[in-house]
Amino acid sequence: MRAILTDVTKCIGCEKCVAACVTENKLPPALPARWTRDDGLSAERFTAIERKGTSNVRKQCRHCLEPACASACPVGALHKTPEGPVVYDSSKCLGCRYCMMACPFGIPRYQWGSTVPYVRKCTMCHENRVKLGRQPACTEACPTQATIFGERTELLAEAHRRLGVDPARYQPAVWGETDVGGTSVLYLSPIPLDFLGVGRVQHERALPELTVTAMEAVPPVFVGVGAVLAGVRWIIGRRMKLADGSSPHGGSHDGSHGGSGTGSRGGSKEKKP
Amino acid sequence: MRRLLATKALLWFIAGGALILAIVRFARGMGATTALTDLTPWGFWIGFDVMGGVALAAGGFVVAGTVYVFRLERYHAIVRPAVLTAFLGYLAVVGGLLFDLGLPWNIWHMVIYWNPHSPLFEVGWCVMLYLTVLALEFAPVLFEAARHPLLAKAYKFLKSATVPLVFLGIMLSTLHQSSLGSLNLILPHRLHPLWYTPILPIMFFVSAIGLGLMMVSCESLVSAWLYEREPELEVVQGLGKAARWVLSGYAVLRLGDIFVRGQGPAIFAGTYESWLFITEFLLSAIVPVVLLSLPAIRRSAGGLTVTALMAVTGIVMNRIDVGGLAQVGTTGTHYVPSWMEVWMSLGVVAAAALAYFFVAERFNLFHAGPVKREQFRYNLPTFDPGTLVAHPDPYTAGLGRYTLAGVFGAAVVLGLLPHSAFAGLSLKSQRVTPPGFGDRVLIDGNRTREAVLFEHKKHVEREGGEASCVRCHHLNNPAERTTGCARCHRDMYQTTSIFDHSLHAARLGTGKGCASCHVDNAALKDVAHTKACLDCHTRMLPATAAVKPRQPPRLGPAPSYVDALHGMCIQCHEERAKDPRVNKPALAQCATCHTGKVPSFDPAKPDARQTL
Repeated sequence: MRAILTDVTKCIGCEKCVAACVTENKLPPALPARWTRDDGLSAERFTAIERKGTSNVRKQCRHCLEPACASACPVGALHKTPEGPVVYDSSKCLGCRYCMMACPFGIPRYQWGSTVPYVRKCTMCHENRVKLGRQPACTEACPTQATIFGERTELLAEAHRRLGVDPARYQPAVWGETDVGGTSVLYLSPIPLDFLGVGRVQHERALPELTVTAMEAVPPVFVGVGAVLAGVRWIIGRRMKLADGSSPHGGSHDGSHGGSGTGSRGGSKEKKP
Repeated sequence: MRRLLATKALLWFIAGGALILAIVRFARGMGATTALTDLTPWGFWIGFDVMGGVALAAGGFVVAGTVYVFRLERYHAIVRPAVLTAFLGYLAVVGGLLFDLGLPWNIWHMVIYWNPHSPLFEVGWCVMLYLTVLALEFAPVLFEAARHPLLAKAYKFLKSATVPLVFLGIMLSTLHQSSLGSLNLILPHRLHPLWYTPILPIMFFVSAIGLGLMMVSCESLVSAWLYEREPELEVVQGLGKAARWVLSGYAVLRLGDIFVRGQGPAIFAGTYESWLFITEFLLSAIVPVVLLSLPAIRRSAGGLTVTALMAVTGIVMNRIDVGGLAQVGTTGTHYVPSWMEVWMSLGVVAAAALAYFFVAERFNLFHAGPVKREQFRYNLPTFDPGTLVAHPDPYTAGLGRYTLAGVFGAAVVLGLLPHSAFAGLSLKSQRVTPPGFGDRVLIDGNRTREAVLFEHKKHVEREGGEASCVRCHHLNNPAERTTGCARCHRDMYQTTSIFDHSLHAARLGTGKGCASCHVDNAALKDVAHTKACLDCHTRMLPATAAVKPRQPPRLGPAPSYVDALHGMCIQCHEERAKDPRVNKPALAQCATCHTGKVPSFDPAKPDARQTL
């Protein structure tokens, strides 16, 4: 599986990656709008440099190994490709924006200004480059090799090698190695990168795991509820029947009919004349 | 019937306005109608219309279950109104969803594209199926009076299928009521811990039952009040009794879950979330349970109405909290729904309520049959033989008034619409106001606290007016070509005089005016021994100038292009090079930028074009 390793200490913040991304994806100008966040990313910018003190952190889709967006999408418009990138099929999308809610990094953005809006995010140049064995536009454009493309296992090894060679230079972690179940975009950083997440940091495990239990319970609950309903109805019906020996009317009347319809009016009308 | 008339007129007013908003929503998009942002992609429409709406419609399966599973026949009288409310409620949910979806015409995609991992997929399917079940459950009411043999056959068949349909309805409801909770399980990062729990699906299911009971009570009492008929007090009391147990159970479950997860202190933390929780919890569980335990409340229709309304508000508030309000603090967003979102949601509810009245006045919805014509005390259908004037049919009696109310609502909304609803969201036509502090500005190009006077107005005029600002005020963004000073100041290495000596000499009078600047006759006639510009041009330094020069600026030669650029770039490069983490000493060396292509400066040919 292919991946990207971004070494924050090597980034000089020249934004050549951003320019390359704009050219490659033919993105329109990023006009300021009410709904954009001030982190540089928008429906028109798939990558951006966030400046934190003297560090320049390149933001982009993390291409999670177990993407929350893909798990959430009700029509499967998002999926993880075998090559690594998480891609979006706009022809399936119905615009529910559950993916935007689910993403722990707040990556997918929406074309709020459009009457036919789509979700937009980095695709790691899957269609035109990675699938064909080429590297993404951003890593190709980087003049300092701060962001590099390669096999995920090799990049992880390289990251750990750098950590071993110069531990004082970095925080003692490779971001994306295990958080949210691992991502295909890895970071080495001199500062903590928790600010890349949205809301409370919940990165110990993959988010899709959280809904699995509930979703697996669906078929048994469906069948179970049906069985319990039938059982309760039968038991109560039988009890009524037994108790009914003395009284001429009651629930058994309803039961023998196989249900008297949604209204009682049918029943009461019959009795009136 | 005055209250009914007023209520319907109000509903038409809201619906009329919502119609205009619906047009704006689809003609201009969500950006123009909602307050949603990239950080808050779900708002009021999901929280209230979908999560709240589905919960509000829970009465259908709860009452049907009471009658057909537990066989409590005395509740039979409210099955029809409850099923109708559920049916209209779900229609309203789907209606509201059509506005909230970005691409609503793709809503059917869930049928062909499957993702069983997604709780939303499951909710979508359940709602689709349950809507069908509800339609079939309710259809007999509509077919009852039909004479057509085919319809009579359908009526008979559907009636015989009631029990299986009710079972299916309960099974589907159990799934999607709880799945609306599961929907939030993937949002631990967004949802505040007072609401986020692994048992959210169970919480949603239990509270939906409580809400269903209270909503049916509410509806029974309110419709009785509107149609001025006797409320089914005994039935409502029974529902209240059940609700008391369900809501107590919910309260225990809710608090127990919070304390087991160790979030107890968060309730009393005094934060926004703690107050939100306390309000919601009091409204949804504690106060209704206490009120329902008081015999005085249980006996009065008014007391029961207030209690039921309170519980309904509380549990709907829970859905809105989970759907948005409890995410505001954790994500740091500033989402407040726009008035258009709120009006639109109310419009959907109004449409559903009007449909309810429509059915109530025509079909055997209530135990006593359809609302009788005699009950319409206004405009009884009569025919005056003298004048041959027929008074209108009671069903359409208020039509003129309702139309007026609808048109009035539409007019009010039209008046309130923001400019963007008509003009669209154009960002390109925004005008830039020219600088407000004079024709000349001091600019500190080298960031050395030494400023030069810049003829701003003249530059604007020369460059072609307001449209030309961008030629200098470019944003230094990637895809944009920057306009360097060099475009105007052509010579790379030579300083450029901004001060026009001959112009001054001509203005002041050649031969006579020298002394007005070169005041000291004995001193050299150079810049250092001459008056500064500000001595004469007193208005050149505006009081509001952001840059205060250390001394009155003297107009000397401006630095050359090379000097200026070096002054701006090198400082930063040197700082970066010193940073141990960058560890690139070469960063501050000339060759880093000058990659061998820069020619050496030839003083003999100062005008030669030089490139980096």
